[in-house]
Amino acid sequence: MTLPAADEALSAETGAGVDLATETDADRAARFERDALVYLDQLYGAALRMTRNPSDAEDLVQDTYAKAFASFHQFTPGTNLKAWLYRILTNSFINTYRKKQRQPQTSGGDQIEDWQLARAEQHSSDGLRSAEMDALDRMPDSAVTDAMNALSPDFRLAVYLADVEGFSYKEIADIMGTPIGTVMSRLNRGRNQLRLALADFARENGLHRRGGDDD
Amino acid sequence: MTDRDCAVALERLYEFLDHELADADADAIRAHLDACEPCLDAYGVEEHIRSLVKRCCTGTRAPDALRVRVTQVTAMTVIVRQTPAG
Repeated sequence: MTLPAADEALSAETGAGVDLATETDADRAARFERDALVYLDQLYGAALRMTRNPSDAEDLVQDTYAKAFASFHQFTPGTNLKAWLYRILTNSFINTYRKKQRQPQTSGGDQIEDWQLARAEQHSSDGLRSAEMDALDRMPDSAVTDAMNALSPDFRLAVYLADVEGFSYKEIADIMGTPIGTVMSRLNRGRNQLRLALADFARENGLHRRGGDDD
Repeated sequence: MTDRDCAVALERLYEFLDHELADADADAIRAHLDACEPCLDAYGVEEHIRSLVKRCCTGTRAPDALRVRVTQVTAMTVIVRQTPAG
């Protein structure tokens, strides 16, 4: 097993030494374009996971950049710009898009059953063991993104921020506006659901080399 | 090694993989994983899923049209601000 390298989120500090009092509008616009636009692809990727829809994702990112630029004078240069942009993205999503999406309740939400969390106290009994990890290697990308999309929005975002963007629990708590304990709970539940969904997919599609009689 | 050790290791699995544990706690987990294959298995599966998620969700490129729209956010605001009312 290889462990991930230390994440790069903390190195995303830009703009230290800027004097906000004397900066002109044009200078600020130039600084915004230089420092904030580099996160466009990442923010769009996150927005796509949040909205599950390219058109809404584009609107959400556009909205995020408009709000970010409008309050860019309040951003403290030298602090974590990436996390700041993600916080605006998350707020925009919650306040605007989530209200109008009214999606059907997918697996999860807060009424998750305890049996889905059972793995935490015992060794895995859900059909995925290291000996079967070649099943994961044969997993199509679409199965993984489908499993992500099936998570409730809060779980999905927490997993995305941790696993894809490498944010710390503290940073995710700031971005999502929740206590760290809530972040840990969302990660726990989201990842458990994800693992169960992938195990189901592997079983249903015969990806396990040793046949489908896991239980 | 006891069942209790396994329970602790599994309970703290995500914190370990997320680099959120203090060094001493992480060392204790490492020592347990060296001795307990079922727990090491569980860690390996989670690690594998995490890299799968990362691979599938990384590398999305924003559409060019969005890039243009977003760039105009600053241009339009500057023009508005630089146009006096009278």
